[in-house]
Amino acid sequence: MTKRRLTRRRLLAGAAPLAAAPLLGKLALDGSARAGAHDHSSHASRSPASHLTGAGGHAAMIGDEAPAVGGPNDLDALLLPPRALPARPGRVREYTLTAIDTELEIAPGVFFPAWTYNGTIPGPIVRATEGDTLRVRFVNAGSHPHTIHFHGIHPANMDGVFEVVESGGELTYEFEARPAGFHLYHCHATPLKKHIHKGLYGAFIIDPATPRPPARELVMVMNGYDTDGDGENNFYTVNGRSFYYARYPIRVRRSELVRIYLANLTEFDLVNSFHLHGEFFRYQPTGTGDTWEYTDTVMQCQGQRGVLEIEFNHTGRFMFHAHQSEFAELGWMGFFEVVD
Amino acid sequence: MEAGSAAARWRPGWRVWAVVPVLLLTLAVGAVVTSGSSLVDLVGTNPPPADEFDIRRVRFEPGEIRITVRNPQPDDLTIASVTVDDAIVPYSLDGPGTLGRLRSSDIVVPFDWVEGDPISVGVTSSTGIQTVEEIPAAVETPTPSVGGFFGYALIGALVGILPVALGLLWLPALRQAGPAWLAAFMALTAGLLAFLGVEALSEAFELQAALPSALGGSGLVLLGVALSFLGMTALAGRLNRSGTATGLALALLVAIGIGVHNLGEGLAIGASFAVGELQLGTFLIVGFMIHNVTEGLGIAAPVARSRVTILALAGLALVAGAPAILGAWIGGYTSSDVLGVLFFAIAAGAAFQVVVEVGRYVARKAPGGLTSGYALGGFLVGVAAMYVTGLLAG
Repeated sequence: MTKRRLTRRRLLAGAAPLAAAPLLGKLALDGSARAGAHDHSSHASRSPASHLTGAGGHAAMIGDEAPAVGGPNDLDALLLPPRALPARPGRVREYTLTAIDTELEIAPGVFFPAWTYNGTIPGPIVRATEGDTLRVRFVNAGSHPHTIHFHGIHPANMDGVFEVVESGGELTYEFEARPAGFHLYHCHATPLKKHIHKGLYGAFIIDPATPRPPARELVMVMNGYDTDGDGENNFYTVNGRSFYYARYPIRVRRSELVRIYLANLTEFDLVNSFHLHGEFFRYQPTGTGDTWEYTDTVMQCQGQRGVLEIEFNHTGRFMFHAHQSEFAELGWMGFFEVVD
Repeated sequence: MEAGSAAARWRPGWRVWAVVPVLLLTLAVGAVVTSGSSLVDLVGTNPPPADEFDIRRVRFEPGEIRITVRNPQPDDLTIASVTVDDAIVPYSLDGPGTLGRLRSSDIVVPFDWVEGDPISVGVTSSTGIQTVEEIPAAVETPTPSVGGFFGYALIGALVGILPVALGLLWLPALRQAGPAWLAAFMALTAGLLAFLGVEALSEAFELQAALPSALGGSGLVLLGVALSFLGMTALAGRLNRSGTATGLALALLVAIGIGVHNLGEGLAIGASFAVGELQLGTFLIVGFMIHNVTEGLGIAAPVARSRVTILALAGLALVAGAPAILGAWIGGYTSSDVLGVLFFAIAAGAAFQVVVEVGRYVARKAPGGLTSGYALGGFLVGVAAMYVTGLLAG
């Protein structure tokens, strides 16, 4: 954000543009800390009425009051993964990803000049079963050179680092899907920070050969947008639109197994997190191994991801959000609507 | 005379000819405007606009923050998101959401702010550019009240009228002083006015630099300075048709010069106090009183050799001091940054003009003229006195 430097003059002239003698400014700085103390009682006696209006707080960030872009099912393709397929030797899974420059409305009225895979941030969910051959045709219709770098085990020339695809070019990545788990893909062209932050990333699920138990499956990719280019995010979201799931809560059934594939692709901030209200979940880091943590809050570094499993005990509206309050209040907040 | 001969050669046609360049210019401007971007495209493309808002005022009311924003850009600017302390908040608009050039709107945010705490408000445009204003301490913005009105008047009187009146009490002492010493005191008057002029000029430039470029550059300052300098020159001419202003006339000029400056001082105090950025402690008021008492001396010096009534002296004190009250009212209850620049520029012009008047007086009346040790020393002491007492007010 464009922080204004606080000078003596600005102090007076910024908020009270009419006038300011420089001599006064110095004292204004010294005095300002105490300036409010003397009239505390009068404010306190007059403010209760305003508390009752209830306009502040999370109550104002739900349903139609939540400032989110679009309609109720706009993000279904990013939230609901394609169905897991049972393991079958020799199967080839084909995807086409196209890098497209586009402008996305990420918060009401706020347009972000994005670089995307297939026109959305995050890109489409790529899913395969362990042992499948994954064949991803990458077309670069964007204005800059890009790649796709998949996390996982694959040959060096399929890693999306050296084989940079120029604008107008294309390349097909082909490798065996392994190991089972929840992974990512993202552009690895330089400058890396720019290419990722602009939106070139997505979720990559590799189902184990022994299938996971049936569940209501959801994908959540956490991200941020630095809309004014100062290296700090102005908006945070899951699946690309701030406050989207506050406006359109995710409906799940009580007692049904809910499985969330959670990944962090937030640029600029060191970590992001997921916190669920009123419930605990089991967390499997990277979606691999046998270690599950039983918790209500997980933290992920950029590029980390994992699988969450929840059975809701109660019906009602349960909030989920980054436990960094700042992220939550800048858009990374939503609700589950648990019904019978 | 020049004007007479010009009138003799006056022909009806010259006014018509004078209009011709204006008409041609209008046509040329019209052609450029209708060409759209094709002209710019010849040399390249325009960089994208910075899209920053100009946050003009942030007012705090119980349970509510009101942010006045203006669009300083040539292109339209749309308010898309509002943050308080880096959190997106619900808001309503009192005015348009898309602002044309130099148009303003009020953003109303229901918010339980914490009294005395620092707070920042941010306004994000549709292109994602965020403008943030940091407020050092949230304090309820005063609304006009009878008590407040008299409060500002009292403050203005304390820092304006009282010290000037006290300074005038040096008059009996000045009457006893020899001509050389009187010249020194006159030079001292010039010195302190020069100090006030420089101070006001620098303030005008600083305020002007903070203005959106669309509202005028440094020329705005020159306009104010020229306006008051020439106005004061004309006034001096009227007061004293013989040439150099002396006695009461000169004292009146000095009082006006000081009065315009005190208007600015009052403005600054009122404006800062109104937005909770200034604690009007005893120390500050005392500082200003000491700072301004020398101004009374400056008014007294020109009338040291003339007969003046108490009434005339009281009038001089009012002319020099009362504008501080007016300034405190304007500063406390309004906000216009363009006016602020003009006020300070006018103060500078008036001060400089009076320095010239006093200089001519000293040059003519003082033994040894402008270059006498008394005159030079007096001037320097005047500047130094303002500087030193100014430290008290800072």
